[in-house]
Amino acid sequence: MIIDAIKIFVYPGMIFIIIFSLFYFGFLRKITARMQNRIGPPLWQPIFDIIKLFSKENIIPENAKLGFTLWPVLSIASILTAGLMIPIGGDVVLNTSGGIILILYFFVISTISSFLAGLSSGNPFGIVGGLRKIVQLISYEFPFIVSLIVPALFFKTLSPFMINSYQIISGPLFLLYPLASSAFFISILAKCEIPPFHIPDAHQEIVSGYMVEYTGTRLAYLHLVHMVKFFVLISLGICLFFGGSLTFVDFILKSFILLVLITIVKVVVARLRVDQMLKFYWFFGFLALLDLLRVMM
Amino acid sequence: MIIMSGKSLKRCYSLPIGPQHPAFPEAENLEVKVDGETIVDVVVNVGYLHRGIEKAMEERNYIRSLYLSERICGICNFVHTTTYCSLVENLLDIEIPERAMYIRTIALELERLQSHMLWAGIAGYELGFDTLFHYIWRDREFILDAIELLGGKRVNYGLNTIGGVRRDMSEDVKNKIGKILKYIEKRFKYYIKVFTTDITILRRTEGIGILEKKDAIKYCIVGPTARASGVDYDIRRIDPYMAYNMVDFNIITDNGCDIQARVKVRLLEALESISIIKQCLKDIKKGDIRIKVPFIVPENEAISRSEAPRGEIVYYGRSNGTDKPERIKIRTPTYINLLSIKPMLVDENLADLPIIVMSIDPCFSCTDRITIIDVKSGKREILGEQEFRKRVDGKNDY
Repeated sequence: MIIDAIKIFVYPGMIFIIIFSLFYFGFLRKITARMQNRIGPPLWQPIFDIIKLFSKENIIPENAKLGFTLWPVLSIASILTAGLMIPIGGDVVLNTSGGIILILYFFVISTISSFLAGLSSGNPFGIVGGLRKIVQLISYEFPFIVSLIVPALFFKTLSPFMINSYQIISGPLFLLYPLASSAFFISILAKCEIPPFHIPDAHQEIVSGYMVEYTGTRLAYLHLVHMVKFFVLISLGICLFFGGSLTFVDFILKSFILLVLITIVKVVVARLRVDQMLKFYWFFGFLALLDLLRVMM
Repeated sequence: MIIMSGKSLKRCYSLPIGPQHPAFPEAENLEVKVDGETIVDVVVNVGYLHRGIEKAMEERNYIRSLYLSERICGICNFVHTTTYCSLVENLLDIEIPERAMYIRTIALELERLQSHMLWAGIAGYELGFDTLFHYIWRDREFILDAIELLGGKRVNYGLNTIGGVRRDMSEDVKNKIGKILKYIEKRFKYYIKVFTTDITILRRTEGIGILEKKDAIKYCIVGPTARASGVDYDIRRIDPYMAYNMVDFNIITDNGCDIQARVKVRLLEALESISIIKQCLKDIKKGDIRIKVPFIVPENEAISRSEAPRGEIVYYGRSNGTDKPERIKIRTPTYINLLSIKPMLVDENLADLPIIVMSIDPCFSCTDRITIIDVKSGKREILGEQEFRKRVDGKNDY
């Protein structure tokens, strides 16, 4: 019972996920800065950012609708629950047999909560930002879902823990199904609002998007969602496509390689417009469909 | 001003962009009417940066007004002082020494280089391309070093005075500027390649923000914005001043009419600037750098114009026999280029608004010092504030 609680809350549970997400995000910012010929913030900067946000004043605007507090909390809760189901270094907290579908659901709940957070802020910029997030959801869910089905069908199981074990035995899946793996990799970029798909956070255009009216603790949750989603998606990618992780060190190494790859893509591109992004994602979705057909044969 | 209430969202609503908005470094207000994500109409409200400079110049003598004209704009400050000095030299009917003309030309072209680099970096930033912004601004530091060698400061270098320039250029400075230019030329060629071949940039700049040639002529658009629509209008060729009729250079025009054309025109113009500076550095001869001018300017009327990095600057002046000007009127390029925002923005996507407005290279500190009829601008400002209060507080206090 106590061991279960430690597993849920400490390792490989919530505290581990949160601290590692903060560090991974710090690495992302540092590597980006070095590639841009700058020095960049220290690695533990996101920790400082979150601590600072928790100490700021909580303001609820007059125009805020019902659920102003609920949606950020729901967002972080659902993404942490999704993270609990993914094996890290061979250890998983919630070993469910319907894992992949549940993970998918929790991701969608998290995104829709962010969108509703934007809607409930009562600010036109927030609404436009939320709408943009939904358009992104429509575009990247298609390749994301298709790429998730591929390992599930191939290994004939829905549990991420089993898929992890199978990959350790049989070798990484991206060698067999490169199209589905690249579709998954690219959907990471959109789900985490990384260039070229950093549209909801296009502050040059709509002043912070869906986060515009949030301050203090609620804004800390929204930022945490962003960072935790990044880490959870990387660990999901390793579990499903990029070879699985037998030990903790194995996991750290593989996730680092993914992190560097994502950073390289982030640094060398500009921002695409919403309609351009839609076309791009559906093109990749159809490519992933080819892999899906291959698996079904 | 927002038409939508808390309960219902009308189909077409107005989005206030500004006066404070992260997209624009200076305060101005665009009232944009959108239908979904397509822009239907736009009204530009300027007046937030009005400083009353023309009136201030009437109360200061010519030398003090010179320093005032330098502070009109941070990016194109040297061309403001050059045009002002040309104006007073025309009022006095004197010719400045040749060496001064060459030094002024070198400083003008260096300023054009740093202004175009600044713009290219900001364009990259607006497109979401942070890396390009950082690289270009790092290279811009080298040009600012060259300017510092020549003038003594990076911005607002007090190099100009009525009758010539104040500081001479030594051989050492000439060699150092030559070395910096060699490096900058390589970098510009690389950035031209990036801006014209990178697929994400092309997706965001090609075919967007079209300003047709007939619209450009109708609205009297000037500068690279007009040259990118095929209008061959450059003061350096039409009305040569300083050393421009003693050097060889091309006027870059492009028939693209979109943002990509404006990018190309500015970057290729920068390469031409580098060649002009190199020719000046070779041709400059020894001589005086300034001549003494009287404090009192006889009654006269004159006009002088230059090609700033953003377009044509016109200074009109009238003197009345004292040491203070009677009237100085300044028409800066952004003031007239603002008219082109409306035909460029209508029927475009809201997401493209920042990059389209940035593509005319707006310099609002230059713009707002033009005297808009005070009654009108006063009324507009009060309106802006009221609407802001209404939006922020949700109730009408006035």
